Amino acid sequence: MVMMMAPGGTGEMARLALDEGADAVYVGVLGWSRRGAEHELNDDEIRGIIDYAGARGKEVRVVVNTLPSSTEIPMFLDRIDMYAGWGAKGFMISDVGCMRLVHERLPHVAIHTSVGCGITNFQDVRFLAESGATHIVLPYRMTVEEIAEIKAKTGIGIEVFMFKTPSGGKICPGKCMMSSYFSYRHWLDENGKDHFFGSASRGGDCLRVCQSNWEFGTDEESLGQPMTIKTNPALWVEELPAYLAAGVDCLKVPGRDRSAQLVRDIVRFYRTVLDRIAAGETIDFTAYRPLLASFHERWKTERGLRDRRLIAEARREALRADRLTAASPVCVPAQ
Amino acid sequence: MFELSTDVTSPKILRRGDYSAYDALYLGDFSCPDTLDNFSSHPEYLVEGVEAVKLQGKKCYLRLHAVPSNHELGSVRTIIETAMRLPFDAFEVHNLGLLKMLREIGCNKPIHLGVFGNLYTDATARVVKDYGVTRVYPNPELSLKEAIYIRDQTPIQVLMPVHGKIPLVISETCFILEHSDRRPDTGCGYLCTREHWLTRRAAGGWSLKDTGRMTLSGSDLCMLEHVDKLVEAKFDAFYVQSHGESGEYVATVGRVYRDALTKAFAGAPAEDLADALREVGAFAKMGLCNGYYFESAGRRYVGRA
Repeated sequence: MVMMMAPGGTGEMARLALDEGADAVYVGVLGWSRRGAEHELNDDEIRGIIDYAGARGKEVRVVVNTLPSSTEIPMFLDRIDMYAGWGAKGFMISDVGCMRLVHERLPHVAIHTSVGCGITNFQDVRFLAESGATHIVLPYRMTVEEIAEIKAKTGIGIEVFMFKTPSGGKICPGKCMMSSYFSYRHWLDENGKDHFFGSASRGGDCLRVCQSNWEFGTDEESLGQPMTIKTNPALWVEELPAYLAAGVDCLKVPGRDRSAQLVRDIVRFYRTVLDRIAAGETIDFTAYRPLLASFHERWKTERGLRDRRLIAEARREALRADRLTAASPVCVPAQ
Repeated sequence: MFELSTDVTSPKILRRGDYSAYDALYLGDFSCPDTLDNFSSHPEYLVEGVEAVKLQGKKCYLRLHAVPSNHELGSVRTIIETAMRLPFDAFEVHNLGLLKMLREIGCNKPIHLGVFGNLYTDATARVVKDYGVTRVYPNPELSLKEAIYIRDQTPIQVLMPVHGKIPLVISETCFILEHSDRRPDTGCGYLCTREHWLTRRAAGGWSLKDTGRMTLSGSDLCMLEHVDKLVEAKFDAFYVQSHGESGEYVATVGRVYRDALTKAFAGAPAEDLADALREVGAFAKMGLCNGYYFESAGRRYVGRA
């Protein structure tokens, strides 16, 4: 039976998702997941969600998918022990070294690779399985055929996003440092934890500079109007039977940084569809297009607000750093 | 004492270039298998390539494709099997799946982990070391302190990029082709042989260089003013990123760093680098930067102060 895993960007979102039929929720640990603090939970909230899910026979995956600094690893492992002790059934991890350490300590827990692992082929999957991964999340663009091939060749748990990117643009997850190239700051908090503002991979939130308007071309020729560098993915449903037939084990609803209400409605929708498929109903998926279109509009509006805020943050941080640079005795070759 | 290396994409570029300043060359473009005459996708060029490099008395490493899909694994395997029979000194791997493949094949050559291997921790360095990796190129976001920590705690050799544009993004599709007028069935036309830039004027001139499947920093990483720090920190493998740059760039930058590193290793006192900075700065259309070595945004430049 396929597991539907939904986001718990807030305690309210996690509870709503579980109530609406998600089999599991994934929650980010404050400072340790690839999102801003407002979409991560503190330890008390995480414990509360683990208890809430457990009481309903459901599960929690704890997202600790930053690429940490080496010196943070003991702190990272202490946290893993704590959450597993509270009943977390699995973790989402990016760093291969951390993955192996968690597997050695807690061989019974599920380890989901994060999208930050940037998997592109079945040999990647085999490598990650040897490092302790029990489930691998595949990138948005992988086709059903590629997914089926990976499942057949590796037998590992396959997780896919309910998201796809049919059009072009750059891969982001795990292979992009664009945000921190422009705006980045590192500091240690009172507990000795590193923080990396601007680094998508290191927990500082991606500042979405790819979503602002860029001009592209050569010195002689512009290739079109100002454009975004990355296209945005969209929810999908029509391919669901094919994905299930390909051996997908876990469907991941995105949206930790969306509103709880939007996530609730999306989870309710997918629960209905999955239940109908499980009941053997013949489904006319085209009938769902208007609903998906409405989700898309709500998603785009919420995402747009967030992107604009983050892009403005990137600019503010850059200006702050510019001022500091101007005041310090450094040599800056002409730009 | 130390090794200075750079990269060469194709036989033609290798034949025309002046690599006298370098001790080792990485052959191939890991970002795009379709790059014109790419060593990384043409097994028939490997004999000529490795022989030419060896004749110059240099070490020769072969780069493997960074983001191969399932259907590309077969062609990468052919490249590996061909190179295994030749006197290459190491493979450079970015994709962990290929690391697994190299072990399955029984690779007996050293392996270097490339920039898109996403190495952030000593824990990961230990994992890849178990697969035969002897040298790592840490993720560019790591500071100098973190690179030293990984080198000492693993322990493993760390390759330190000292000059050139910083690889920031890699993709399995070509951004240039996607935005061109070419029909998909007419091939790529090697549009990337012309320089393409992404610029954001509204943000005060933010810029990135794009080579199709890879996006690089707009500014050139330049560690010339900090060579003494790198030597003091006991690094011994340095790299100039020259993908997409001119032959003059490769020769000039190599000569300047060869000179600076030789003096630093000999313990010579720090000298005025204004002329050398001007020389390498002249190639940097969007200026110089220090990457993330000093814990600031990658595009910033920190002088000796």
